[in-house]
Amino acid sequence: MTVTRAPARSAPVTSRPGLAAARLLRLELRHNAMLWMMPVAVALFWVTAERKIMATPPLWSLRAAGLQPDAVLAFASPVAGAAAWMGSRESRRRTTDLVNITARPRPVRLLATWAATTCWALVAYLVCVAVVYAVTAQQATWGGPLWWPAVVAAASLPAVSALGFAAGTLVPSRFTAPLVTIAAFFVLALSTQLINGSQSYWQISPVVAAPWDIGPDPGAGTFYPYQPDLPIAQVMFLTGLTVAVLGALTLSTGAGARSLRRSAVAVTAAGLLAAGTAVALAGTGRLDRHGMIAIPALHDAASDRPLRYTPVCSHTAIPVCLNPAYASYLPATAAALAPTLDQIAGLPGAPARISQAAVTYRQGPGNSVGFGLAGLPLSGVPPVFHLLLPVELPGPAVTTTEQASQVRSIIGPSIIASVTGDGPGASQAQHAVTTALLMAARAVPSHLLPPGTPTAGNSVPGPPPVAGTDGEPYVGAAPGSPAYAAAQRFAALPAAARRGWLVRHLAALRAGRLSLGQLP
Amino acid sequence: MNVEITGLTRRFGRTMAVAAVDLQAGPGVFGLLGPNGAGKTSLLRVMATAIPPTSGRLRLLGRDPRGSGPRREIRRRLGYLPQNLGYYRGFTVAEFVEYFALLKEMPSARIPLAVAAAVDRVGLADQSRARLRTLSGGMLRRVGIAQAIVNEPELLLLDEPTAGLDPEQRMTFRALLRDLGQHATIVVSTHLVEDVGAACARVALMDRGKIIFHGTPGDLTARGEGHGTGDAPLERGYSAVLAAARP
Repeated sequence: MTVTRAPARSAPVTSRPGLAAARLLRLELRHNAMLWMMPVAVALFWVTAERKIMATPPLWSLRAAGLQPDAVLAFASPVAGAAAWMGSRESRRRTTDLVNITARPRPVRLLATWAATTCWALVAYLVCVAVVYAVTAQQATWGGPLWWPAVVAAASLPAVSALGFAAGTLVPSRFTAPLVTIAAFFVLALSTQLINGSQSYWQISPVVAAPWDIGPDPGAGTFYPYQPDLPIAQVMFLTGLTVAVLGALTLSTGAGARSLRRSAVAVTAAGLLAAGTAVALAGTGRLDRHGMIAIPALHDAASDRPLRYTPVCSHTAIPVCLNPAYASYLPATAAALAPTLDQIAGLPGAPARISQAAVTYRQGPGNSVGFGLAGLPLSGVPPVFHLLLPVELPGPAVTTTEQASQVRSIIGPSIIASVTGDGPGASQAQHAVTTALLMAARAVPSHLLPPGTPTAGNSVPGPPPVAGTDGEPYVGAAPGSPAYAAAQRFAALPAAARRGWLVRHLAALRAGRLSLGQLP
Repeated sequence: MNVEITGLTRRFGRTMAVAAVDLQAGPGVFGLLGPNGAGKTSLLRVMATAIPPTSGRLRLLGRDPRGSGPRREIRRRLGYLPQNLGYYRGFTVAEFVEYFALLKEMPSARIPLAVAAAVDRVGLADQSRARLRTLSGGMLRRVGIAQAIVNEPELLLLDEPTAGLDPEQRMTFRALLRDLGQHATIVVSTHLVEDVGAACARVALMDRGKIIFHGTPGDLTARGEGHGTGDAPLERGYSAVLAAARP
């Protein structure tokens, strides 16, 4: 130690609170537990979320909706744990007396520590979002990033951090951080267990990115604008929760001045009000026909209008046109449908175009949801056949090969049936002609083949059970029935003879005026 | 008077840590002596505004610390070194002192120079970038002193400041105390009587929560002439006063 004169007190220098706060934050940023937890959080995201998200089709809606819950679950535990650890720092390091007798109010000091923890969490999260969105931007063929899901996940981090920090501050112990880490995961993961239907208060959970019963709708942002109703409520809830927790923490840590206490009470009340309002709003949500949650008080009717887009079309006998967001599926879809389309191209009443449509949803009782096409598959002048790609439908993800197979086995028969007028209540002749055309196109669903028939080359796998009226398999002529025998005879005719007969008799066939015996 | 205490009492449950203490202290170094458990640390914590008194009157730097505004003003002008210094292991010496400069609401522009000066005064200029976890106990004690003096306090409260310091550092520290005491009120709690004799202008002796002696080190020495036990005159005075106060 040296006995040197301290610098003489100069004239008072005006303190700049902003600069002091920035210096305090810089110190806290340098020495924050979240800095060490960042690799853990990013690794968790990489292992549990990134690959899962990237396995979904390159549609912005699916990637964004996958990002939100997975990022929240991956980051919540490390962030909550780090925040609890930092919150208990003064007690663990026995600096409570030393820092409590300083002039800066304790809440301000704690806020700096919390802010540093949250900043690092957000930095790590934003890096992950940037990677997911950058890769998606390279893969997606149409549309742009959906920011609301990313914002919800971002807003959840300050809230989780505030809750963890409050736990660490109020219950300072070495065990608080690990317990908070575990609790954060289970609370979030279990928060969706009580969701029942689309009108559930529990939808406010940040791990809910879409109607919980059906998952994210690929049509959001492709056929219809993304509805931010639920995300707005979630951000409101999370912001309110953050503010309320920080306000309550200020009160509980003995805010000094009366004005500070009053402010803390006001902030806590405002936060609780915002969070409560958001929960109430989420409870009024309902599944809209586009597969998103609409909250009447927040809903913008203008966003119900369909998006304008220029479809991408194939050069098949009948063009197959898809939404440009699904352009990567066009070659496989067109190839799967081409043999079928060759059979009906140019026939009277045959569709001029096969056009992809959006899925329409309907909330049923409880958790049940109905979905399908909004109208008839074949409509308009000239007639257009509207198809739903399997990748659009709720359910497990499908590969391109599976998708092509399902297109051949479900959509191909449906297109032919729409031309022959086949369907429930149709005549035996209609069943026979439809089945014959499928045989000629070598696209007979396996359930229409006689038992023991090898399937390779001349048929497609039987359709999987798909819910909804538009995904049901074509029934057709059962093997062994007279209609099936007639179908085999008709399929065996030369293509020109078949076409000639169809040109002459299709109108009568569609009207149900032909019997099996009148088929060639 | 920078410290005015009248009838101050502090209880912890049934334990009376500080019992109706009266004390005044102006600029200079004031020694607070006493055996373990005498109530020195409790009295210092009350004076540091770390804990409120149970009863009695306390004025620091001419202000009543019960009001939040005056208390904040007092804290801006206060330096405190607790008996058990807690610290953040990852901070460097300079960062730790800067942290407290910021918490003491020092003007931002003054902080870099003040930190450097405080670190230099405790002889840690060469270790200013060393992490606290790498320092010895004595060095940590000096870091604690640096954070206490970084704001050039008008009231400096030091609880066992020389614990862990080697004899050379202790002598230098006493010189530092004398220097600081020219402008500020310094209250040093210690059980090492030689620290008091070397640095303090006035001294109080506490036992069982009460002040049983208040005067100069010379007065205390005089009380030990022909009485008490100890190797040094001041120690004999210390033990004589204690013996007289105990039944």
